[in-house]
Amino acid sequence: MKINNKSHSKLSFRLGVVASVFAALLATSLAAVHAETTPVLGQRCENEGSNTGISSTSLICVKDKAGKLVWARVKVNSSGGQPQPAIRVSGGTIEFHHWRGEDQAYFDKIISQFQAANPGTTVKQVILDSTSYANLAYSKISTNPKAAIFATMRGAQFKQFYDGGLLRDLSSERFVTNNIVKSALTPGIVDGKIYGAPYQALFNNPLYNADMFAKKGWKVPTNFTQVLAFCKTAKAAGVIPFAWPAATRGNGGQIFNSFLMNSAPDIATLTKNIADLEAGTTDLTSTWFKGIATKYQQMGDAGCFPPNVSGYNDTVAPSDFALGKAAIYPCGTFCMAAVTKVNPDMAGKMKMMGLILTDDKPIYEGITNNTFILSVNAKASTKDQQVARAFMSYLLQPSVAQYYGVASSQHTSVVNADYSANVDLLNTSDIMGKKLLLAPRFLFLLPQAKVRDVVEDALIAAATGSNLTTMLADKSKIIKQNLGK
Amino acid sequence: MALPAFLIYGFLYLYPALSNLLYATRRWDGVNPPENIGFRNFTYMFTNDDVFLKSINNNLRFTLFVVFFQTAFSLMFATFLVKNTKTNIALRTIYFFPTILSSVSVGLIWISLYDSNYGFINALFKKVGLDFLALNWLGDEKYALLAVAISQVWFHTGQMVVIYVAGLQQIPQELYEAADVDGASRWQQFKSVTWPMALPTTAVVVAYTTIQTFRAFDLVYTMTNGGPQNASQILVTLIYTNAFAGFSFGYAAAQTVILVLMVLAITWLQRRTLRLDYGVK
Amino acid sequence: MRYQVIKNSLLALFGVLIIVPCSIVVMGAFKSDAKIISEPLALPDQLNFENFKRLFASGRVWIPAKNSLIVSISSVVITLFLASLAAFALSRLITVTGKVLFLLFSIGLAIPGQVNIIPIYLLFVKLHLTNSLLGLVLVNVALTLPISIFILTTFFRELPKEMFEVANIDGAGLWRNYRSIALPLAKPAVGATAIFLFVICWNDLLYPLMLITQLDKKTLPLAMIDFRGEYLIQYNMIFTAIVVASLPMIVMFLMFQRSFIAGLTQGAVKG
Repeated sequence: MKINNKSHSKLSFRLGVVASVFAALLATSLAAVHAETTPVLGQRCENEGSNTGISSTSLICVKDKAGKLVWARVKVNSSGGQPQPAIRVSGGTIEFHHWRGEDQAYFDKIISQFQAANPGTTVKQVILDSTSYANLAYSKISTNPKAAIFATMRGAQFKQFYDGGLLRDLSSERFVTNNIVKSALTPGIVDGKIYGAPYQALFNNPLYNADMFAKKGWKVPTNFTQVLAFCKTAKAAGVIPFAWPAATRGNGGQIFNSFLMNSAPDIATLTKNIADLEAGTTDLTSTWFKGIATKYQQMGDAGCFPPNVSGYNDTVAPSDFALGKAAIYPCGTFCMAAVTKVNPDMAGKMKMMGLILTDDKPIYEGITNNTFILSVNAKASTKDQQVARAFMSYLLQPSVAQYYGVASSQHTSVVNADYSANVDLLNTSDIMGKKLLLAPRFLFLLPQAKVRDVVEDALIAAATGSNLTTMLADKSKIIKQNLGK
Repeated sequence: MALPAFLIYGFLYLYPALSNLLYATRRWDGVNPPENIGFRNFTYMFTNDDVFLKSINNNLRFTLFVVFFQTAFSLMFATFLVKNTKTNIALRTIYFFPTILSSVSVGLIWISLYDSNYGFINALFKKVGLDFLALNWLGDEKYALLAVAISQVWFHTGQMVVIYVAGLQQIPQELYEAADVDGASRWQQFKSVTWPMALPTTAVVVAYTTIQTFRAFDLVYTMTNGGPQNASQILVTLIYTNAFAGFSFGYAAAQTVILVLMVLAITWLQRRTLRLDYGVK
Repeated sequence: MRYQVIKNSLLALFGVLIIVPCSIVVMGAFKSDAKIISEPLALPDQLNFENFKRLFASGRVWIPAKNSLIVSISSVVITLFLASLAAFALSRLITVTGKVLFLLFSIGLAIPGQVNIIPIYLLFVKLHLTNSLLGLVLVNVALTLPISIFILTTFFRELPKEMFEVANIDGAGLWRNYRSIALPLAKPAVGATAIFLFVICWNDLLYPLMLITQLDKKTLPLAMIDFRGEYLIQYNMIFTAIVVASLPMIVMFLMFQRSFIAGLTQGAVKG
């Protein structure tokens, strides 16, 4: 972090102004989004490789001829061809099921634009919180043909919907192949066919209060020893080191990604370990898992987590973080909106860290995820499927994706979207210059209640000081029992 | 004339209840064809399912706690409020009030009260210096079930007070007068007149409360959904989870059969004890 | 004297235990979120209807309220009609069939309705009755018939037999007996039962949770569960939703206090 304060504050001031102008423009019309305003172009940036988006025209932090780091427009990713315009449809009412309650207002706006462009159509959002969605979405959507378009989570849930025959084949839809960055499509592909369009490109890494860190003179920890030391320092200063929302399954498990990422020598071993766990050929008493659990326990012992962490939920965590009571909020880019909602002053003060929980040379430095996989319900009526297709093609328009990303502080996988108008996305863009792993928590493929929930319960128990040997044996037994049901 | 009622009841109550028995012998994920596995679900749940056994245990503890305190409190308040004075009627109405709320509302109210960091309860305890009582109510395995049980007692005590008042008002005043003449203390009066005479009402209160605790799905689902670490998992929430999140429909149906047997056994036991008691007096 | 002090303090304490949480909710509905946490018991600065406006603007109130109303009223009316018919017949017919039927209905009293969740779910998926208000009404009717029949049979049995015997001589059939004698007499019993059933249907979560996934068909408790997910960090919005969802019940309670208490209590006693 070698940036001098003056230019940094100037930059963020400019960005602030630009962001508000942008917001105003967006409020009046989505079309205004096309404007070619790239205020940061040529400005100094901090870390080489930082990236403001994953799409083809993203801004990337590069060295200019003089060797200075500046923002430049660089082609980093490409899609299957020329982005396609939205399909039109006349009339029809469908439901759009997803778990992003935080984004309801933005989707409402997008929907009203869509409805205006396609008279007679109605799209209704049906939202479940992410924890319930993970568990119950299949039961709910499989009996509801009106749920013509829905989002699924990468891994277990997507597989479940595929197995249930609920996903329409989208392989020949050019608005999917051409509007989404090629590399981001993988989670939606089964046997070479596209069944879903991963909409969000997320970074599931801890957010830290950069303002607080600067004021207290703290350095972002870069290995496990430093993490433990940081916890002691922060706690002594009366601040919660990690506002870990353990009591909320969905976001409480985000930190698990960071624990997993360097727990095995390579991704193949990690994938196999998790598959073995779900096949019942290994259990939680294995050296690999015990190593992870021990680290949770060490962090718990070092005071990294808030008191009563097992009852600390994702209501309280963003609030504590936003109000300066916690230094780090282990969640992801998608949690920034919840923070600024509690305290708008936090805008521009959040940064993202790769949480490295090993003292060896890390294999990965951070987490990314392609999720919110949009699919068309194959069991919906033909007419409703047409409306769903049209709505999906609308969501995949670069201008719409850009509006959504900037408004909700999340990147999308859509090409030609530029997020530099969102100061928080810009500030957290450092993470994209790091070596990232696709969130390993979604390598669990069975219905969550069977294995992953028990695993994550075990880790909470570890962090709150249970006797590891007996606890891990108990939880292993429960997993085995669940697998036999 | 009873036919239309019986048709609906038979088709949508008796028939489904019986078909549980059939589903209970299947292994079925709701998608692939079901597989007949005989009694395996039953043997499995008793020999191989710690969470199920824990839920039975939780359910019994929950029932015991709620039945005891709800009955004791409602009897106590009913003896205080038995006379139809204005204040008493007003108090009964206030006590009764939570009964008209939905379990979801009650659950949401108590989630906010119990919040370990921002909740009213912990704030209050800290203010009066009882910091050790500022617990992690819904987040700690040790207290979650207790916390839900307390909400349940809060929810329904008022209803039971009204039932008791109705029962106590039937007790002939002469019995108390006779006791007064004998110079009995209030406690002795309660022991020798109120308690035995109110036994039939107690039987009703206990039976109804018991059934209520087995039906506490709405409250538990809203407040903890069985967590943390299954600490507040009761049978109905477990069955719901196994079926709709775990996709083990046959297994969940088998657990339902056990639930029915348990409810019947407990009801039978209660009727027997309370009736016997009553018979002796 | 000491007894009086203890008694009054216990009574007051429990009263406070009921009133305080309810006032936190009501006042919280008029406050900002920060104020709820910092001063839960303070009166709101002014009557700020911001939260209510936001709630109604979210479009999540009227449809669920309407659905709850439709489902509850239809369930109660149908249940009472079928139950009173059956109860009357059962109280008059002292035959073997009558006794067997009564016994069968009694089974429904002993077994909590929750046991049917899986078979009902599977059956309704087959019959395309998920996401249907009619489906919810049918479930409610089936679940509440036993208790209603039980309550009403007890009532009809207490009516003097002679009344009907006279009518029989007049040549009045069972139906006329029911229509012109039994039903008018049973008004208070039916009324109290209606309230009892209405509260059950209005507040039920389990079956709607399982059977309804479509937005347009959700009932109020279900909408509130969704609400918990959407507004997870805003207690003021949650409190506002509680106030709005409970309001119809509270108004009814204040209007028909006596029958309300009688109805809800009778359900317990007779059950």
